[in-house]
Amino acid sequence: MPTDLARLDLRLRRRGLWAYALGTGAYALLIVVLYPSFRHDTSLDQLMRGNPTVAALFGVAGSLTSPAGWLNANLYANIVPLCALLLTIGYGATAIAGENDEERLGLLAALPLSRRALLAQKLLALSVLSTPVALTTLAADLIGRFYQLQPPWQGLAGVTVGVALSALLFGCLALAVGCLTNNRGAAIGVASAVAVASYVVSSLAGSVAWVHHLRFFSPLYWSVGQNQVESGLPLTSLAALVLTITVIAGVAVWSFDRLDVR
Amino acid sequence: MSVQAGSGSEAAVCLVGLTKRYGRRRGIQDVALEVLPGEVLGFLGPNGAGKSTTIRLMMGLLLPTGGSVEVFGSDPRGDLLVRRRIGYLPGELALFPSLSGRELIGRVARVRGGVEPGEIDRLVGRLHVDLDRPIRSLSKGNRQKVGLVLAFMHRPDLLVLDEPSSGLDPLLQDEFEQLVRERVGEGATVFLSSHDLDEVDRVVDRVAIIRAGRLVGVDTLDSLRKRAPRLVELRFTGPTDPSPVLAVPGVRALDTSATGVRLEVTGRLGALLHAAVPLGVADLTARPVSLDAIFRSFYEDTPVRQELHAN
Repeated sequence: MPTDLARLDLRLRRRGLWAYALGTGAYALLIVVLYPSFRHDTSLDQLMRGNPTVAALFGVAGSLTSPAGWLNANLYANIVPLCALLLTIGYGATAIAGENDEERLGLLAALPLSRRALLAQKLLALSVLSTPVALTTLAADLIGRFYQLQPPWQGLAGVTVGVALSALLFGCLALAVGCLTNNRGAAIGVASAVAVASYVVSSLAGSVAWVHHLRFFSPLYWSVGQNQVESGLPLTSLAALVLTITVIAGVAVWSFDRLDVR
Repeated sequence: MSVQAGSGSEAAVCLVGLTKRYGRRRGIQDVALEVLPGEVLGFLGPNGAGKSTTIRLMMGLLLPTGGSVEVFGSDPRGDLLVRRRIGYLPGELALFPSLSGRELIGRVARVRGGVEPGEIDRLVGRLHVDLDRPIRSLSKGNRQKVGLVLAFMHRPDLLVLDEPSSGLDPLLQDEFEQLVRERVGEGATVFLSSHDLDEVDRVVDRVAIIRAGRLVGVDTLDSLRKRAPRLVELRFTGPTDPSPVLAVPGVRALDTSATGVRLEVTGRLGALLHAAVPLGVADLTARPVSLDAIFRSFYEDTPVRQELHAN
């Protein structure tokens, strides 16, 4: 498959990509090197046990001082998915609706390239953009071996895949809404609103009974909301994420075929 | 006045009943037009008339509300081989500001395929394109030159150019016109939208005029000129009642005074002269209506246009 346009989009975003990846990696490294200072602080666990719902709202579940709990509470339940989603939702909204608004899409859509091939290259670029935040965080986690932070390998691998897939999913959602509405603002707004709702559901699923029933509607529950740092990414969650991404990408392809390009 | 268009014709471009609406907003309505192979068609109209909408429909960028587009016998929206044969310059040329011209042209050439590097070099040399600075730092004219290279570099069989000389200096306008003539000399067809009537006069074979989304005229420039009324000024030897000349068929008074009249005359001048001589003519001047006035008349629905249509 030709990749010139995917590489063009990545080239245009290379600085932002590096900044996001290095910034998140640096933050993750800070969390990692701080772990030995909090490892034996039982007051933290007592505080969380005393306010489980508030703790859940901040993405904390279970022990905060275990290696998996520390990484989950400080990285994977909130900041890392947030950073990954900011990057992919931003790109997803810009890739079609934003470029069309800037009247640059017509130049590419007039080339001898089918709409599907053009969108496939946008999806390829989105897939690449979904990985750096997850990978630099993983790199920081691996450095944690030298700071008494040794969560299970399969857990780290699973949550890394989960973060990347959730970033891809929400980026696809922004792309699809952009193709449907031809409006970058709507694409960012809808994808961000769904991400926030997904975060709240995933966070509170363990402590609020009626929210618990909604957990299967939350992509973040599938990707990072089941203590994946400890237990890895279940196959059912992997399948649900992949299936949802496929359906949303299908909607994007369908609507881009019908989109008026300027 | 529009050329009859039918599916499966030999035309390079064939638009049949082409209609585009943007919700409740007008786009174009029932546009029918053929452009023959090797022809340069000037596509004219006031701002907002529907020129860019028609061009985007031709390029397959917009989905028509009704009607059809055929380029070389096929719908360019779905036929990539046809799109390979088209060179397109958008009216609102928006490029990637952080790329250099060299990088953009190289990437587009790779996606397009079949572009000879020598052809790019030749165009860059002729148009004096600055390839190495970021596009954001280029003037409008220099960006336009990059757009022209993108449109011409694969030696297309059909050039669809929307305001191509916008921002170009006169020397480069000449060079652009020369490029168009060379492509046409090699058999290419050109669909050219422009507000520069001098350029239109120099380059095109026929013009199509669109107004408020509808095609209002398609003809050669010579034919338009021949059928256009002339401006005639008569000065009499003394105060005179000019009603005999005003009664001549095809004559319309633009201005009258005691000793003279300014007239717009359609058709032969013989009957007018016959009516004027008994009134005592001191002086007479007659000149054709300018190309500018002809087009303005189409744009504004003035009497000249009615005369053209009546013919």
